[in-house]
Parts: sequence; structure tokens; C-alpha cells
Amino acid sequence: MAKFDPIVGRYVYVQCGGETYRTYYEENGEGIPLVCLHTAGTDGREWRHQLCDPDIAQSFRVIAFDLPRHGKSIPPGDFYKEEEEYKLTAKFYADFIVAFCRALELKKPAVMGSSMGGSICLHLALDYEDEFSAFIAIEACDRSAGWWIDPLHHPHIHGGEVCATAVFGLMAPQSPDEYRWETWWYYAQGGPGIFKGDLYFYSVDHDFRDLCRKISGRVPMYLMTGVYDFACTPEMTEQTANKIKNSECIIMQDIGHFPMSEHPVGFKEYLTPVLKKILQADSQDRRPADRGAAMDRSRGGRDDQRLRGGRDRGVTIDEDRGSSRDGGVRVVEFDTSGGKRTWR
Amino acid sequence: MARYGTAAHLDMEWVEDWARKVNEDRVLRVIGRFFTANFVIGIEDKDYLIVVREGRIQRVADGLSPNMMGWQFALRAPVGSWAKFVQPVPPPMYNDIWAMAHPIHGKLKIEGDTKPFWQNLRALSWMLAIMRQV
Repeated sequence: MAKFDPIVGRYVYVQCGGETYRTYYEENGEGIPLVCLHTAGTDGREWRHQLCDPDIAQSFRVIAFDLPRHGKSIPPGDFYKEEEEYKLTAKFYADFIVAFCRALELKKPAVMGSSMGGSICLHLALDYEDEFSAFIAIEACDRSAGWWIDPLHHPHIHGGEVCATAVFGLMAPQSPDEYRWETWWYYAQGGPGIFKGDLYFYSVDHDFRDLCRKISGRVPMYLMTGVYDFACTPEMTEQTANKIKNSECIIMQDIGHFPMSEHPVGFKEYLTPVLKKILQADSQDRRPADRGAAMDRSRGGRDDQRLRGGRDRGVTIDEDRGSSRDGGVRVVEFDTSGGKRTWR
Repeated sequence: MARYGTAAHLDMEWVEDWARKVNEDRVLRVIGRFFTANFVIGIEDKDYLIVVREGRIQRVADGLSPNMMGWQFALRAPVGSWAKFVQPVPPPMYNDIWAMAHPIHGKLKIEGDTKPFWQNLRALSWMLAIMRQV
């Protein structure tokens, strides 16, 4: 018998800004709709562990869609004639999320987004609070500058490798290698200029330093940030949370900027109590009878896989080495020719 | 901690040990096949020239002489930043070269022609991570 993931994928046509977008999404579970937003330049695959988690699926209908131009959601048909480079704006992003939720006729969904998906939660809370029941803003803060940069989309630079490697250090060394490199892989697969274009929203169009205080707080917001996130540090998240009414700030140890994909087991420890609170506070008539019980079973041991071994001296051999002086500077040459070497 | 925290530790001998480890690495031969560049590792006020050819370190020097014909980019940071970077499990904000160099942190400066830095970021990052094995 073959093994299957419980995830089911589909396409839905979403109207937004005068365009119709054929939008791919995946889902699993029953209960409160939990719409998951991927990070910049990637797609919904980042959420595969949460989509497959039976503890979550018992109480939540977990849904992860690919934004237009990401993953399996194709760009508009005339993208090749666009006269300006792709830039994600706060308005399009927020409008699209709302349009997607309406297209699926979701009733007061909760939103869980990471990085730019976390940042947009602040906009949704300000502009569309009546549409949603809770926000889980992961790796989110009021402003994260310095990421809208040309090296991420340049014809002399391999976009896939540079985008993926530029974000690799955002992950914690404690996160399992397998999942860090899977996240790297997703980043390496983005369309040309899409990561950079998303970062226009992330680093330029998103500036909530003065707007945080205008969020009413009628919809609870949970801000969760990993200590290895150098784009949105724990301090930046705490300062943001302090300005948002009815918000809670959760700092995650040994985790970086991609909790859901880099360290799903560690992330679950922090996510479970948040989902419990959302379940308990939910006032809509949609809950399974035994709600909440499944969440208790979800606390597993930490996946403590260490990534980098201890320091190891004593292996190196330097018989192929030669050294000389060059104007008072010590120069050491290495044999990189596969055995043969020629001394000058 | 003392072992990782001093300029005396991150000296020419350490750079040579690192270069040997780099040249033993089998993954770099694949991902660094087109990584050919001269760059500088600046530790405090000391510059080490690293000459890379096809992903392998051909030469290191503990300074810059006229015969070396310059370098393309330099990664310069205080010894305290490098000492954290090379720890087996580096602390937050010091676990990655771009983390340290990012404008909001400024723990390390990328100087010179940054294009070859970005072009070779994957192989370069792998190469620098080998510092944690020295």
C-alpha cells in the first residue's frame, strides 16, 4: 500500500484588481479555516508539515495557497509585456488574500503567515478586521528594511542560488539540515525577480511604525519570532507587539525565520498553545465536538538534530604545502592540481 | 569561550588550517567549480588574501603585496564578530556572512566589487562555514 500525504491540491479562479488569477492551493483538515501565507519568493509547500499534521487537521481546515507568480499559480498572461519590474504592494497582497478567502467562501478564517505573510497580517488587521477571526504573524514586525536589493535579480547572478543562499543564514543552526536545505530548495525555484519583487512589499511598502497603534485589537494577534531571525529580530517583534492592542509576543528558541519549514517539530511546541487559544475563543458555529483534545497530544520531544559537529583538528596534512616570502608577506601555496605541483 | 575569542587564535596558522580543510571538501568541487576570485578576509585590522581557483584555495597570504595584483572583494569584521561566526554553533546574528553584513546589523563589511561576492555566494558561504571545522 502506497503512502500518501493527506493534502489535496486544487485551482480556484480569484478575481483581484481587474484580473482573474488561476490560483493553486492545498488543504487538509476540518474546522476553523486557517489560511497559511508563504514567505517572499516561495510558495505554499513551506506549510507541508502543518498541512499534514493530524493534530491540527482535527480542529482546523488548513489551507495554503500560492500567490500569483509563485509555485503553481501562474503570472497574468501578459506578464512578459509589463513595463515595470514586478513589485508586490501591500494593497494587492491584502486584497488578494481577502479575495481568495471570499472565493473559497471561508467564514471568518484565521490567518497564519510568515515573514511577508506575517507583515501583511498587520495590514489585514487594520483594513479588513471584520473578515478574520485571528492572526498568527510569524517573523513579523512593523518594518524590516534592507532587503529590496538588485543582486537578487541580476542577469550576471544565478537568481535561484543567490536568493536561496541569501536566506539560508536566516535559519537557526539547530534546525535540521534536511529541512533547512528543503527551504533553500524552495527559494531556488522562484521565478525571476519574484523574490526581489516581494521584498518591495517586505522592506519598502510595509512600514507600520506609526500604524500599529491604529489596529483596533478586536481580532487577536499572535506575533511569533525565532531568535535566529536577523531580518526581523526578537527585539523588533517585541517593539511591534508593544504597539498592537490585544497582541501576544512569543519568542522561539533555536528557530529562525522559517519556523514552519526549517524546524516543524520545534515550531509545533510554540504553535500548539496558540491554536488552542484560537479554538477556545472561536465564536463561530463550526467546531468539531471534541475540539482541543487533539492538541494535547501534539507535544513531542524536540528534534534536537545538531547540524554542525564539533571542532576537529588533527586531520589535516600539509605535505603538499610550500611557503615563501613576498615583500615581507608570508605566502602559502596549495596544490590544487591533483598531485602535481610546479614551484615558481 | 577563550578558545574562540581572541585575535591570536584567528591567525595565519588558523587561516592555513582552514584553507586545507576547504581543499579537502568534496562538495565544493561541485558547487564551486566556477568560483574563481581573489578576496580578502579582514580580521580586525589584519588582511588575509585568499586566492580561489575553481573552488579550491590556491594561495593565502597574511597581507597584500604588489605582486598579488589586488583583490575583488573583502569581508572585514572585528575579531569579535569572526570569533562568534566560527563557533560550532554560532549565536544569533553571527551565524551567516550576510546576517553579519546586513545593513541593519553591520557586524561585517563587504567592500570592493560586490558582484563576484553575490555570484559566488553559495560556494563562498559553504567555504566560510568550513571555518567551524578548523
